[in-house]
Amino acid sequence: MNGSDIAAIFQGAIMTVTLSFIGILIGLPIGLGLALIRWANVPVVARIVTLYVSMLRATPLVTLLLLLFFALPNIGVPINPISAAILGLVMNTSAFNCEVWRSALMNFPKDQYEAAQSVGMRAGQRFRRIVLPQIVRVSLPGLVNEMSLLIKVTPVLAVVGVVDITRAAVRIGAQTYEPLPPFLVAIALYAPIVFALVSLQRWIERRQTAAEALA
Amino acid sequence: MKMHSIAHTNSLSRRLLLGSMAALFAMPMMIGNAKAAGLEEIKKRGFIVATEDDFRPFEFVKDGKPTGFDNEMIEDLRKYAPFEIKQEILPWTGILAGVSTGKYDAAITAVIITKERKQSLDFTSPIADATHYYVKRKDDKSISSIKDLSGKTVGVQAGSALLGRLPELGAMLEKQGGKLGKVVEYTSYPEAYQDLALGRVDYVVNTVINLQTLVAEKPIFEVGQAVSGQSYPAWAVAKDNKELLAFLNDFIAKEKASGRFAELQKKWFGEAFPNLPVAFEPDF
Amino acid sequence: MIRDFGIVWSERSLLLSGLANTAILSTLSAVAALLLGFLVTPALMSKRPFISGTSRVFVDGMRCIPFLLFAYIVYYGLPSLGLRLDNWTSGLAALTIYNAAYMAEILRGAWVVQPREPIEAGIAFGFSDFRLFRRIILPPLLLSAGPVIGNQMIQIIKDSAFLTIIALPELTHAASSIQSRHYIPFAAFITAVFLYWGLCLVIEAGVSSIGRVAEARR
Repeated sequence: MNGSDIAAIFQGAIMTVTLSFIGILIGLPIGLGLALIRWANVPVVARIVTLYVSMLRATPLVTLLLLLFFALPNIGVPINPISAAILGLVMNTSAFNCEVWRSALMNFPKDQYEAAQSVGMRAGQRFRRIVLPQIVRVSLPGLVNEMSLLIKVTPVLAVVGVVDITRAAVRIGAQTYEPLPPFLVAIALYAPIVFALVSLQRWIERRQTAAEALA
Repeated sequence: MKMHSIAHTNSLSRRLLLGSMAALFAMPMMIGNAKAAGLEEIKKRGFIVATEDDFRPFEFVKDGKPTGFDNEMIEDLRKYAPFEIKQEILPWTGILAGVSTGKYDAAITAVIITKERKQSLDFTSPIADATHYYVKRKDDKSISSIKDLSGKTVGVQAGSALLGRLPELGAMLEKQGGKLGKVVEYTSYPEAYQDLALGRVDYVVNTVINLQTLVAEKPIFEVGQAVSGQSYPAWAVAKDNKELLAFLNDFIAKEKASGRFAELQKKWFGEAFPNLPVAFEPDF
Repeated sequence: MIRDFGIVWSERSLLLSGLANTAILSTLSAVAALLLGFLVTPALMSKRPFISGTSRVFVDGMRCIPFLLFAYIVYYGLPSLGLRLDNWTSGLAALTIYNAAYMAEILRGAWVVQPREPIEAGIAFGFSDFRLFRRIILPPLLLSAGPVIGNQMIQIIKDSAFLTIIALPELTHAASSIQSRHYIPFAAFITAVFLYWGLCLVIEAGVSSIGRVAEARR
């Protein structure tokens, strides 16, 4: 394995980090929106969201990507590999995020909400100032867990031609017939990122249990 | 964390489930398959071509840049064509489906001409000779002729003509009292060759050009005998896209006339194929 | 479009064998991962730093790398070290070892919140180690960890789809094969999606019934 091979893996890393970042960024608010729809029990739409979330959580990302990439053009919607990758990641992570947000919303103490209502706060204010800060706090561990899961699922983007860390490493191994060195480089790139997220999650959880113990 | 279960929901959800399933199936029927674009439309929005990501020596990526026979032809095509060319690089299994549904205008890759493919695709003039051969590990003394392949495990690319024509090899083996062994399908050939080197498969079937390139780079392999009849690869466009087909055939004829075709063939295949037919009807 | 589904129907034996492979592979590795998890969890909580240290490295390591990379390492990397497995064995091994780490974490989390009284009572009553484990410790542990283990099983089913990349003939591989030969991507993959959804509904139903048993016991 030579210098240009390592450069290829690093290019894959840029792709991995960029697509993960975009997926996480877009998936978080969409997950929140889906959870709100279900929490508010909007007629008809809430049921559709339930169905959507249930199916997406059951579908492997690999199959979803193949479906999006090959089948959408089949029904007239053109899509390129990067868009398919982002769309697949966002659909997948928003479904899981939805459940995390929803669990926080359902455990939200109603009395606070009603107190705000009786004081005369409008719905938007109620949400922004009372509900949102608290559910963000509660959802944080679950959301960070989902972020690390998203990064760990990015190698699958290779099926639509996106070259990420894993695909770059595999390609080099398939050329040199010495697969271990590129694999080790790949591990060295993934592990710090995921470990940082997992540690962040544990730190948040510890701080929250400590805060609750004091309260 | 409690999981939501659709299995225990009420009738409104069930109706919605059935309704959305019906919509999901009905939608494609209403919109219909995307139509292939004619030359006028291509001139306006650019020509979208698909190439494979790792299929030496026709197209592959070296030091981050696409190169190989087909990629160099695309460079020539950019100078020849009066419109923009957009290239998508993706795994083989998506290319033909993309062309036949109109997602890509043409597959500028070595698509072997087969009867089944001619039902949904049209082919340009052949670009090389693609008789199927097998390759084995050089130190594997148990294989020296076709009949030794009986019962051995073979690796091929999924969705390829090489997979489709394995019955021809099977017939050859049966005539000599043997039979085809286990078939393993791979996403792309480098993975198949890697498994060949590791001993998980005993031989891999590919076209003579691909195999000669492989053996030149990796002397641990050795090319065996032919396992098929006459076979040619060409570029593919959607069926009945006559204007685009004529355009591409004119381009190929020009490249042949100027000698550039033979030059590229010698560079990438090690030899020129001066007697390629202009059109080809496959038996298989 | 109807024609496309007709083609899928005609290839149903390939799809069903892919589905069977997915189900068998997932079930085998889930059971094996759970058993392996039972071995790793006490190691994690061991007082001896060497044992708890190595098991912590194992669990954290598996949780830090993508499953697909691990599967590649088992399939393509191990032969360099002399261990060459076929794709089924590699897939099973990768799924089992990877998810054993997660199972160990789940069991550890469930164990930590178990009330100690029944166990101390069992010891006071003279239950032998094995009986203690089987009748006092195990049932509430499994019942409380049930939903999370069910989640992990669904994760295993989805991870099994990755194995299409090492040419394992599971469900996604079957759908891909059909699609690449007949050019019917929508029909083939939507069918696969519904089959995966069905598998997961079966698991969810199982988890719900375990949940009902847990409620009844309480």
